[in-house]
Amino acid sequence: MTAPLLEVENLRTHLHLRRGVVRAVDGVSLRMQEGETLGLVGESGSGKTMTSLSLLRLLPKEGGGVLQGSIRLDGRELTTLSEAEMAKEIRGRRIAMIAQDPMTSLNPVFSIGDQVGAPFRYHEVARGPALREAVVEVLRRVRIPSPEKRLRDYPHQFSGGQRQRIVTAMAIACTPRLLLADEPTTALDVTIQAQIIALLRRIQEESGAGIILITHDLGVAASLCARIAVMYAGRIVEQGPVREVYRRPAHPYTRALLSAVPRLGGQRGQRLAAIPGQPPNLLDLPKGCRFAPRCPHRMPACEEYPPDAPVGPGHSAACWLAAKG
Amino acid sequence: MRRSAPVTAPPAGWRRRDRAMLTLDGVTKHYDLGRRGLVRAVENVSLAVPAGETVALVGESGCGKTTIAKLVLLLERPTGGTIAFEGQDITALRGAGLRAYRRQVQAVFQDPYASLNPRLRIGSIIAEPILAHERPGRAALRRRVEEVLEVVGLPPTAARLYPHEFSGGQRQRIAIARALALRPRLLVLDEPVSALDVSIRAQVLNLLLDIQREFGLTYLLIAHDLALVEHVSSRVAVVYLGGVAESGPTEQVFAAPAHPYTRALLAAVPQPDPDHKLPEAPALGEAASALDPPAGCRFHPRCPHAMPVCKVAAPPALAAGGDGHSAACHLLAAQPAAATPRIPA
Repeated sequence: MTAPLLEVENLRTHLHLRRGVVRAVDGVSLRMQEGETLGLVGESGSGKTMTSLSLLRLLPKEGGGVLQGSIRLDGRELTTLSEAEMAKEIRGRRIAMIAQDPMTSLNPVFSIGDQVGAPFRYHEVARGPALREAVVEVLRRVRIPSPEKRLRDYPHQFSGGQRQRIVTAMAIACTPRLLLADEPTTALDVTIQAQIIALLRRIQEESGAGIILITHDLGVAASLCARIAVMYAGRIVEQGPVREVYRRPAHPYTRALLSAVPRLGGQRGQRLAAIPGQPPNLLDLPKGCRFAPRCPHRMPACEEYPPDAPVGPGHSAACWLAAKG
Repeated sequence: MRRSAPVTAPPAGWRRRDRAMLTLDGVTKHYDLGRRGLVRAVENVSLAVPAGETVALVGESGCGKTTIAKLVLLLERPTGGTIAFEGQDITALRGAGLRAYRRQVQAVFQDPYASLNPRLRIGSIIAEPILAHERPGRAALRRRVEEVLEVVGLPPTAARLYPHEFSGGQRQRIAIARALALRPRLLVLDEPVSALDVSIRAQVLNLLLDIQREFGLTYLLIAHDLALVEHVSSRVAVVYLGGVAESGPTEQVFAAPAHPYTRALLAAVPQPDPDHKLPEAPALGEAASALDPPAGCRFHPRCPHAMPVCKVAAPPALAAGGDGHSAACHLLAAQPAAATPRIPA
């Protein structure tokens, strides 16, 4: 086996606000192989988006996002790179992001040709007639019909699904090694969502890039990802191959999440298995396991944070129940 | 703990108008944009909502489902057709009649961050609909507010707090409490849980199911989440570009969808199951604009089974199974009414 594409060790992103320290990402460790699709699943505020912004070192200046731990891409440590190196060599070049909302992530006053050309110009990948060629080609890869005729069009002349394709084209423009897709289908209708999922799957097959898919939708994650990492209150509570995690969830939070969603073909009119209470306040996290206050299996040991315990091949859970077998 | 029996009564006849609490008959809503054209938001929609049941309108954004909700709430008046509540035509109601209708029909909206006034305390928010219709004494009003807070699982002390002091799930409980304050008979639920996190969603859905059972409420649910709709509704209408593509008992529509659009919609839902495969080539293209809907069947440009007739004639609602299951599709015209339709794969 070659070196992993991405190794994240004990990543911590704490934001210092006037109200206190928000422990947005609090000890995240991840490992991805080349061409793998990892689903980072969790509810709002669990730290999924902050994890991906941390990988790009795009932390808010205000509140001074403090980054600790280690991020290695193809063996290269990113946390010690200068801002200029991050901008020139990493962002958009090696790690690119597909933004969540194509209505707001495209600039309404620049043409599509101009915007999709930006990453090529910035990273000096193409210029002149070759630039136009490259833009048309990448738009064709995301299945924009007759792209050569649409370069002068503006975002409002495209539908929501097409805008999501354009945003995706900008991300794959400079053939990154790793794509961060943050809720890429959340703003879309279900039939269009299925089209974008199919597109991401094909892009991955063609390019061999690794994809981290950030989503709150367990269905979307299952349809695209080989591995799943479940986040809760700034930490990964369980990770493993998608089949293992969905069929044999080891963490009580994963189990609760999977049984809280209605499924097609399920029992009509039955009460759902709701999770009592609310996610914790990131300013004031409970001691020990963060899910313990909502957990039906809480025990005295949960006062201390549980270690990642192996529960199957490549499958681990941070829970004392798993640690004790 | 509350009980866990199925919520809905056995489906009453869809067509038995005498049992229906709310009926829409050929309802149409057009918005005239002058030179820019005519938006055909809702076109010839017929629908019956039986008392004590949950009827869901499901469809993608822009299909007109929220416009239908607004028409039922009389926030908009239809351009054509009639809406009847308990047999009485309400489309032209004004004054006292309108006020009496509004007491019986209340709404819960999608975004509990936008639907609660941030400057009012919870007590005042819930008292507002009561004070619009009645003049209770101060003590009686407080009791009423505390009662509905208890129904939605919030402590009486919540009345003194402001919306920002609550989480999204709690705010939606407050919005439900406000809707219940007048003891209505019909609730219009417009995407009531789609703004909430997964773990909170189930709590609010369970609350809605409990309340329905406890007070014998009738729900008109607007939603885009098909699994949710299947879970809570007894009857469903699938809406596409302003028209009903298919309607009937939820079980039948989901188990034997007759309209190609319903099939495409169901096939596109990602399932929390790694062995479930999404179609490799999902439904073609995107929905047209209601400003310029396609002639004939509105779904024909995206339909894998489109025939020449689909481009010229709008299909009528045809029987697609028992118990009022119908679909507006020309493919059904050639089929025996009661048989499960077979659409070539």
